[in-house]
Amino acid sequence: MATSTYLSNPVVTINSVDISDQCTAASLTKTVEALESTAFGGTARVYVGGLQANEITLTLYNSFAATETYATLSGLVGSSTNITVKPTSAATSATNPIFTITGCYLESLPIVNASLGELDTIDLTFQGGLYSVAIV
Amino acid sequence: MTKYVIESDKIGTVGDEFIPAEGINVDALLEGGFISTAGETKSHKVKLEPKE
Repeated sequence: MATSTYLSNPVVTINSVDISDQCTAASLTKTVEALESTAFGGTARVYVGGLQANEITLTLYNSFAATETYATLSGLVGSSTNITVKPTSAATSATNPIFTITGCYLESLPIVNASLGELDTIDLTFQGGLYSVAIV
Repeated sequence: MTKYVIESDKIGTVGDEFIPAEGINVDALLEGGFISTAGETKSHKVKLEPKE
C-alpha cells in the first residue's frame, strides 16, 4: 500500500497578504448543500447538490505591529475577500495545489484574546465564497 | 483607473505595481498600509535652501 508523508506547513494568504508567519492552524472545508429530492415511490432518501457553503477557519497569533495580523484583518470585518491555502511553500503543482475561496465573508474579529503568560491568539471563521483549485 | 503600489513585502515586491484580483478588498489593504495609490507614496524630505 502506497503511503506518503505530509508535513502540514501551509502557505496562507488573506486578501493577498501572506499571513503564514502568524498562522498556526488552517482548516478549509468544501461543502455543497444537500437538497433532498426524494419523491413518492422512492425507497431511500436521495439528494442533489445545492449551493456551495464553504468555510475556512484559521488560528493566528495576534499582532498589532505594522502590516501584521490586526492591520491585515481590521478592514475586512463585515466584508468579503479572497483566501488562499497551499499545502506547502513549494511551487504550485498537481501535488501542491493552491486552494482559493473567492468572496468569503468575515463576520467578526476578536480584537484581544489575552491570558497572562501566553501569546495572544485569535480564531477566525470565514464563511461562504466560491471554492476553486489550481495546479499551475 | 487607480494604480496601486506595493508597500509591504507580505503582498509582493515593494515598489511594484499592485493589480488587485477580483474579490480583493483594496480599501482594507490601503487601511492596513500594504499598498498606496500611485503618486501618494511616502515623500522624501527635501531640504530647502534658506531664503536670503
